[in-house]
Parts: sequence; structure tokens; C-alpha cells
Amino acid sequence: MDELAPDTRAALHAKFPDVIPAEGDVDSQGPVVPADQHLAFAEALKNAGYRLYISCVGSHWPAAGDDEEDRYEVATVLRHPDDGKVFWWRVSIATSATVPSLYPLFGGADWQEREQFDLVGVVFDGHPDLRRLMMPEDWPGHPLRKEYAIDTPHAPWR
Amino acid sequence: MSSLRARVDPHLDIDLYDADADLMALNMGPQHPSTHGVFRIKLFLDGEIIIKAVPYPGYLHRGVEKLCEKLTCVQITPIVDKHDYVAPMTNEQAINVAFETMLGVEVPRRARWMRTLLAEMQRVASHLLWLGTFTLDIGGTIGGGASVMMYTFRERELILDCFEALTGSRFHYNTHCVGGQRHDIPEGWAKQVRDAFTHIQSRITDYVEMCDGNEIFLIRSRNIGTYDADLALGVGLTGPNLRCCGIAHDLRVDRPFHAYDEIPVNVAVAEGGDCYARYVVRVAELKESCRLVLDIIDGIPEGPISSKRGAKSPIAYKLKAGLQGYTGIETPRGELGTYLIGGGGQRGAAPYRCKLRPPSLHAMSILPWALVGHTVSDTVAILGSLDPIMGEVDR
Repeated sequence: MDELAPDTRAALHAKFPDVIPAEGDVDSQGPVVPADQHLAFAEALKNAGYRLYISCVGSHWPAAGDDEEDRYEVATVLRHPDDGKVFWWRVSIATSATVPSLYPLFGGADWQEREQFDLVGVVFDGHPDLRRLMMPEDWPGHPLRKEYAIDTPHAPWR
Repeated sequence: MSSLRARVDPHLDIDLYDADADLMALNMGPQHPSTHGVFRIKLFLDGEIIIKAVPYPGYLHRGVEKLCEKLTCVQITPIVDKHDYVAPMTNEQAINVAFETMLGVEVPRRARWMRTLLAEMQRVASHLLWLGTFTLDIGGTIGGGASVMMYTFRERELILDCFEALTGSRFHYNTHCVGGQRHDIPEGWAKQVRDAFTHIQSRITDYVEMCDGNEIFLIRSRNIGTYDADLALGVGLTGPNLRCCGIAHDLRVDRPFHAYDEIPVNVAVAEGGDCYARYVVRVAELKESCRLVLDIIDGIPEGPISSKRGAKSPIAYKLKAGLQGYTGIETPRGELGTYLIGGGGQRGAAPYRCKLRPPSLHAMSILPWALVGHTVSDTVAILGSLDPIMGEVDR
């Protein structure tokens, strides 16, 4: 991940002090942003010049113990088209919760979020048309979830 | 029509459209020769004007991201070859550069120069195929398009011969690995490449004449499928599809990978954001890449081609569990990125999650905006101008 420009960092720190510290390293794995600040964080980055929508990556993390819940982690990657700097952050939610959709800010989020919903199962709140993108409409389950075995049998016709 | 283009809503509720209009829904695809693969678009038409377009990708979905969770980087390389089957060389590079970045593996200078050379050769081959199929799409035989296609395919063949001499296969090379290259340059190969690209370079002006001197080509590509820079950035268009609306963003220059920090590249940009601008950018890139190939082929430094030669077990390239990151490189179609999370199958040697970011998928997702207000026949031109490869869209 590329470093934020000093003024971008200062502006982000002012709004999201828990996510972007004033000094020291920003988490090189991508800082974790609370789900309710996801949209505002994306907007702040977009205003700072990160206007190129790169990707949205959902991943499924099964619970370690019985008293915990499975989690989804959604990483969003943006790029600054002028200097090519790339930045990503993560949102971690329980599988029963939702992540706000970035469609109002980035048109590309339409298909990317549909894909993550389709393959991983993440539900995006506020998405205008959350349908499956890759798998058939009546496909059972979400293939990229960890409990979905790679050799799950399925009929070659439907 | 212009008022329709001014306020495009991809999620238009068709019931709220003019109640008196005689609407028709038309399915294009999945098996349609001009969709460049298996792809379906549902078009809602008012007369012959498209008022809403709903694309349905996914017919070629092979579940590669799921497969990657069980495979090591050595095993993933031949699989990603099959994504963008028109430019497999850069696909291999994308996944290997991603692993190298995450693992901190050094690549010898000779290997980096070879990768740069192969990437530029692949760009020429890919753009030649695009030019041929695009002219076929919009002109057909009447527009003179069929003849351009025959010439570009003839020239592309020379590049595939070069690749065959280097790697042993015409497609699906599997010549990249973590740390460098698998195949060193054979004797006489430099001359073969030099001859091929000197020939191709001399032919490009002919293609430009055949297209720019063709009234049908110009009418069918100018002011068709226009989008502005803000929309293109928001949707995530990269490569020529982004540079056609005046944004000089190219990872080869902005974020140099391989040996691009030593080899200056002139970025081709056009204004307008229509099909013609995309054609202008790609033709300029053809010329630039030919120049680069001829420059690089004489300057490849001596030395080892891999820093990991002799590493027998792919377990040697194990990503730390939970380590994650995104790496992207510029391919002929734009930014091909890989988001990796470490710690998957094969005792952690496979990634936990491997998300591929294909440029064609983003190119296709602009269709609901770009098609509105145009006619059905323009759909073919717009689709072709975006240079989509369905293998890459669906993975």
C-alpha cells in the first residue's frame, strides 16, 4: 500500500482519528474502518483524489469458537489516477450484518458488490439491484464461503 | 436521444418510462458473434433507440478464485493464462508480480527486461487482434473491415511464432514463475523478433489508412458510445478505455513495474471518450509498443533469468497467514490486479483468498451507461471498442 500524501492524511485524521493515526504507520494490511463510517471514509478519499475505483474484495472468516459468529471482511481498493497511488481499507462485520454500498459514489461498485454478494454472501445495504452476477440465479449457496467444499456436487443441468 | 444520454440511469424502472411508448425487450446473446464470447445483454428499446441495457455476464464462470484457494503460486500461473486468452503473457506476470511483491522476492535485471519485452510484444499482438475484430464488427466486408482483420491476423501470427520459439507454445505459455523466467532467450530469437516488429511497424500506417480513409468506419465510430472521465473513473475503467477520455493514467509510468523505471514510455491519450478515441489510443499504443520492442531487444542485459532457480518446493513461497495486499500491473486492457490473503490450502502455501481484478469486467460494467440513447447496431460497435475478453470478465 502506498503512503498517503501528508495533507490527505491530516484531513483523514481529522475526520477518522481512530482509523488514521496522526503519526506512525498506517496498517499496511489496510486499516479497519467501522461499517457505519465506510461510506463517509470512501467519500473523504474520493474527495482527496482517489477517484479510480479498483476493486472490492469480500472474504469469509469462520468463527474460531462456538460463542463467536462467522465474519466477513470487505476490502475496498481505490487508486489516485494522477500519481497512481493505491489505498485500501477493510470493513469487518458479522455475517448477519450488512455493509453500506458504495454505489452512490462509484458506479463500478454496482457489479463488484454484486459479485461479492454472489460468491461470498456479503449483503450490501443500499445497493440498487443486489442480484447474483456470476452464478446462475437459482444457485444454492455462496461458493467462496469456507464451508462450501470445492467438490460440492451439482447437477450439470437445471 | 440527446436528452436520453444526458440523464442515464442504469437502474431505470422501465414501468415509469413513457406509458404511451411501444417498448420492446431484445436479448442479444449469449451466442451472438459480435459479443466476443458468451455474453448476453437485454436491451429495452423504444423504436430502435435503447432506453435501458441490462448485461448478464457469467456464462464462462469457471470458479477460478475458488480453485486458487487450493493451489500454490506455481500451480496458479498456468490457470491465469486462460483468463485473458488474447494476452496470457501479461496475465501470468500479474499473478507472479503480486506474489513477488507480497513475498519480497527480488527479480534479476535480465528477467525484468525480458518481462518488459514480452509485455510489449503481447500488447502489440492483443491490439492487432482488437483492431481486426473491431473493424469487422463495425464495417464488415462493406466497410472494408474484413480486409483489415486478415492483415492484422497475419501480423499477429509473427508474434505468436516468436512466443512459440521462446516458450514452446503459441498460447498459454507458463513461462513466468516467482523470481524470474523459466525460459531463456534462444539463439537467433532476437533477430526473429527484430524482423517481425520491423515488418509490423511498417504495416501500421496501412491499417490507419484503411480505417481513417473509410467513411463507414468514421461514421460508425465517431460520437458513439461516449462517456466522460468522471464516469470512467468511478466505474473503474483503466487502460485505453480510460485514456480515451483524456486521462493520462498508465501504471507503466505512474507506478513502474518490471523494468519500466529504466525504459521511458510515451502514454497515448485521446479526447472525446467515443469509439473513435479508443481506436486512436490503441493505434498509438501499437506504434509505441513496436518502438519499445525494437529498443528493448537490443538492450537486454546479461545475467541470471531467475533468482529462485533450484527452489524445488513451491512451499518455499508461502505467504504468511492473514497477510494481505493488492498489486496491479498494466496489461493491454488496463489494470489487472490481484488481491491476495495468505494462509489457504496445501498447509498455507495456497492463498486464503485470491481476488483477480480483470480490466474487462469493469469495461463491461460501463455498458448500462454507454449504450443508452444509441441504436442496436451501435451496441456492436461500443462493445467491440471496449475490447472485452469474456474469459477474463467471468473467470
